Amino acid sequence: MGRIRILSDQVANQIAAGEVVDRPASVVKELLENALDAGATHIRLEVEGGGRKLIRIADNGCGMLRDDALLAFERHATSKIRSSDDLLSIATLGFRGEALPSIASISRLQLDTKTDEESAGTHIEIMGGKIVRVDEAAVARGTTIAVRDLFFNTPARRKFLKSETTELSHVTALVTHYALAHPDKHFELHSATHALLVAPPVRKSSERLYQIFGGDLVDQLLPVAAEMSLEHAGLPEPPPWKRDADYKRPEPGFLRLSGFLSKPELQKLNRNSIYVFVNRRLVRDRVILHAVSEAYRNIMPPTSFPVVLMFLEMPPDEVDVNVHPAKAEVRFRQSGFVHDFVRDSLRNGLIKARPAASFLQALTASPHATSVISGALLPDVSPLPGEEGETRFAAADSEPVLVEDAADFELRPPQPEPETDKLPFSLAGLEVGLEKLTSGLPEAHDCDSQTPIEAGETEAQAPATLNGLASLKPLGQLRESFILAVNEEGLWIIDQHVAHERVLFEKILRERQVERVERQRLLMPMLVDLLPQQMVVFAAIARELERNGFEAEAFGPRTIAIKAAPIGLEGNRLERMLVEVLEQSERETQRENLETVRTRIAASIACHAAIKVNTPLDSKRMEWLLAELAKTDHPTSCPHGRPIALRYAWKDIQRAFQRI
Amino acid sequence: MSMPGVGTEQERPLAQGATMEISVSRQDLLRELTATQSVVERKTTIPILSNFLLEADEDRLTIIATDLDQSIKTSCAAKVKKPGSCTIPARKLYDYIKLLPEGDISIKLMENHWVQIRSGRSNTKMVGMARANFPQVPEFPETSITRIPAASLKGMISKTIFAISNEESRYTLNGALLILKVESMAMVATDGHRLSHVEKTGETLTNVSGEKKTLIPRKALAELQSLLGSGDDAFVEFADDEHTLFFRIGRRVLTTRKLSGQFPNYEAVMPRDNTKFVVVRSQDLMGSIQRVAQFADERSGAIKMRLEQNELKISSSSTDAGESEDTIETPYNFDPIVVGFNSAYMIDFLKAVGSEGEVRLEFKDAQSAGQMRPEDPGEDYKYRYIIMPMRI
Ligand SMILES: Nc1ncnc2c1ncn2[C@@H]1O[C@H](COP(=O)(O)OP(=O)(O)OP(=O)(O)O)[C@@H](O)[C@H]1O
Ligand SMILES: [Mg+2]
Ligand SMILES: [Zn+2]
Repeated sequence: MGRIRILSDQVANQIAAGEVVDRPASVVKELLENALDAGATHIRLEVEGGGRKLIRIADNGCGMLRDDALLAFERHATSKIRSSDDLLSIATLGFRGEALPSIASISRLQLDTKTDEESAGTHIEIMGGKIVRVDEAAVARGTTIAVRDLFFNTPARRKFLKSETTELSHVTALVTHYALAHPDKHFELHSATHALLVAPPVRKSSERLYQIFGGDLVDQLLPVAAEMSLEHAGLPEPPPWKRDADYKRPEPGFLRLSGFLSKPELQKLNRNSIYVFVNRRLVRDRVILHAVSEAYRNIMPPTSFPVVLMFLEMPPDEVDVNVHPAKAEVRFRQSGFVHDFVRDSLRNGLIKARPAASFLQALTASPHATSVISGALLPDVSPLPGEEGETRFAAADSEPVLVEDAADFELRPPQPEPETDKLPFSLAGLEVGLEKLTSGLPEAHDCDSQTPIEAGETEAQAPATLNGLASLKPLGQLRESFILAVNEEGLWIIDQHVAHERVLFEKILRERQVERVERQRLLMPMLVDLLPQQMVVFAAIARELERNGFEAEAFGPRTIAIKAAPIGLEGNRLERMLVEVLEQSERETQRENLETVRTRIAASIACHAAIKVNTPLDSKRMEWLLAELAKTDHPTSCPHGRPIALRYAWKDIQRAFQRI
Repeated sequence: MSMPGVGTEQERPLAQGATMEISVSRQDLLRELTATQSVVERKTTIPILSNFLLEADEDRLTIIATDLDQSIKTSCAAKVKKPGSCTIPARKLYDYIKLLPEGDISIKLMENHWVQIRSGRSNTKMVGMARANFPQVPEFPETSITRIPAASLKGMISKTIFAISNEESRYTLNGALLILKVESMAMVATDGHRLSHVEKTGETLTNVSGEKKTLIPRKALAELQSLLGSGDDAFVEFADDEHTLFFRIGRRVLTTRKLSGQFPNYEAVMPRDNTKFVVVRSQDLMGSIQRVAQFADERSGAIKMRLEQNELKISSSSTDAGESEDTIETPYNFDPIVVGFNSAYMIDFLKAVGSEGEVRLEFKDAQSAGQMRPEDPGEDYKYRYIIMPMRI
């Protein structure tokens, strides 16, 4: 007798469930998406026991006919696509017909649904994949699904669930982000005892943002919007001889981006606060995450990440959503195009806004700040795997998950019982401890030391820009390192070194772009001894160094002779800069592209050539520096991501002195 | 040789309940304080260094200031009622004496390092520190002294001091090299981008055999410059020991710690075949460069020199400021050449040369060092200034 057997549907569904559903939040995601696909405008969710005991979702969507409702629990039963051609242009969130049978196979499920067409509604009960009851039901139009005892028949999976609180936080984050993506719809989320989220319909994303997070976060975020015609990179067309008589050119359509991005001073230690929706589908896409990092490159330390809420809209045929079992990943037909569009749109948003950092916020907004306030701004939990969690989806049943969970427990300091009524805001507080433990300092400037800063209280700030930089009047220096300046907006503190560094950085890149880097030839070549591996690295980047003003050649097996140097670099600074670039290159060469090398070299030259801390500046020089800084694209932060200018708002000063 | 008041007080064990009481003319005191105060550190972490040491003996008041790297010791006539010594906060004393009217000033050491200063109807007390804390200042050696003509030394310093490197890490370039020979002397300074070399012949120097090379720190050169400027002594007495350089100008002695390290082999970089040259009036060149440099890149100050058929064109451009060009007519019939320089470096040289007379600019090509020198240096000076070009 052969050994191969066809699996029963029930087992097949359970296996599929492993891919589609790995925790309560993924059930919520599937059910939410179904409700949205059904055109619901009012969605109410209840969860108990972090979703393990109960997930109930009620929508006012189109509902299902009785026959359809029964069919919906068959595998690959869907109303959303018919042929494989439809897969090329999916406009709904669901399309596989897998979610309901999968969920039903690992829980006790009740469905109540009614359409406008039928006079009676339908009630269905399913236990671990077996339909146990079908009835009529007197319900209003729409669908209500209750999922009880998730994983009751798959003990292996139940083991991987984390604490109720953690699961609840994932559910909350997920609902929050779908609510953000659909501001025109009503969302509610309740736990057994509390209302976690109630968001009636509003007109704009920004209103929804405010509804959910309140003013503190909104002040830290900048709106962005951009649009680009896809005309020049339109859809591929069949050759003329293959076109039908009534062939119509496909509409190229538009690529649109809207959303919010954080000011550079709001920094996170992982990518979990970057939320990307493609055609309103929450996805985690490498191309886009990379574009986001690129947009913040040299504005934020490479070890930090921004908070981004981004909605991308594009014609459905531009994006393939059928590449990941949980639909968490997508593939863009023109990924390079999308990447550059996202990068440039975000970058332009940052350049345009030139956000000014408040001194008090800067104290708390850094990822290394210990204040809970920084965490409280955003629930720092992702419904989708972050970079370190990517293995979780791919191999949900394999070892790494266990290991990761264990590590998670070890790293986390003892957690206080969270006040669930304040979710999602208090959730992030839990993460703060973790962030603190895993934090490394931002990429160091080797030329100055950390200035210790004492913590203070924080207050909400009126949105501010750095456009006022040019009008600043310098008063003097603090310890010959920070420029104190004033204008109508308040009192400003500017770090002279990083300010000059930013000015030089952009200047060097500009000149490099047009191959106009000025260089000073040296009277006597400067000899620098290198290690053998540094010689190799030097050879690899010599050409780029040359274009940045270094003329150097090998002088014996382990020595190079520098014959010309970029402006402003002499002696030790020149040597240190060179060694720094070589050391970084040694670490990075594998994954770096040319542009990254270029900006890294520019940042290094800028850092070493810039005015140092502990350098007295006269008022003319300070005025000059502030004026030059005002002209830069990113006066917010130095190329290594440190803040440049911080502001004490006039209002705060008045408040502190109890004048208002 | 008699050196009143010098070197005696310090060796004598300090008497219990130290005393000092003198009277000195305000004019004499202010003159000597002015000469000395520049050595005093403004921001020092060693409090005693912000004080003057005053020593009174026989009929002189000796004033000493040091920052540990250098020291100046000077003296003036005084009526010494009680010999002794004390320290006084330098800045405060100097500022106060400046504000007093002409007349005699009495200085008296009191209990606990308090010092009373009286003049006419003004009466002030300042608190100094224990004299014993004041660091030992090296003594001028009595042998192997070389007498250097003061005017020549002053001239050489002013022609080279600006080329000394500001980059503190390049300590061997943080001074100028003094080269003494039996019948000539020279001074050379470089910052790695340009080099200034001046030689003075027709001198007769004592106590020099062969060639004596001494690296003098910039700070000491600046002190020397001002000491030479205020006095009218014909000679500077120069001596050195293992660690210290000594310069005596009249009654004032400047000491400075020697710079260690090897000054670069400057002779190797002196251009030999800069065959393309023009001669222009110093004043014209200065005017043109200053005008054009307004529009040069703020940081590099880069300007272009273009030599063509009987013309020297000087130009600049920057994305921020705009562009500018000046033309100077002058005979030139070698192959055309374009070479870029830091305008600040050229201006430094032209300032040192002065606006009188003509300068000669000698080039080889756009990559090699250019050389500038006065067309008619006069007074047995040979002055050459070498600048490395920039690529613009
Ligand atoms: N809330 C709902 N309201 C109306 N119809 C629903 C609802 N939920 C599910 N359906 C119907 O049931 C079908 C099956 O749902 P299911 O989630 O299993 O698959 P899908 O959404 O089509 O694809 P996917 O597996 O990608 O989610 C859907 O195609 C839809 O017709
Ligand atoms: Mg679905
Ligand atoms: Zn730096």
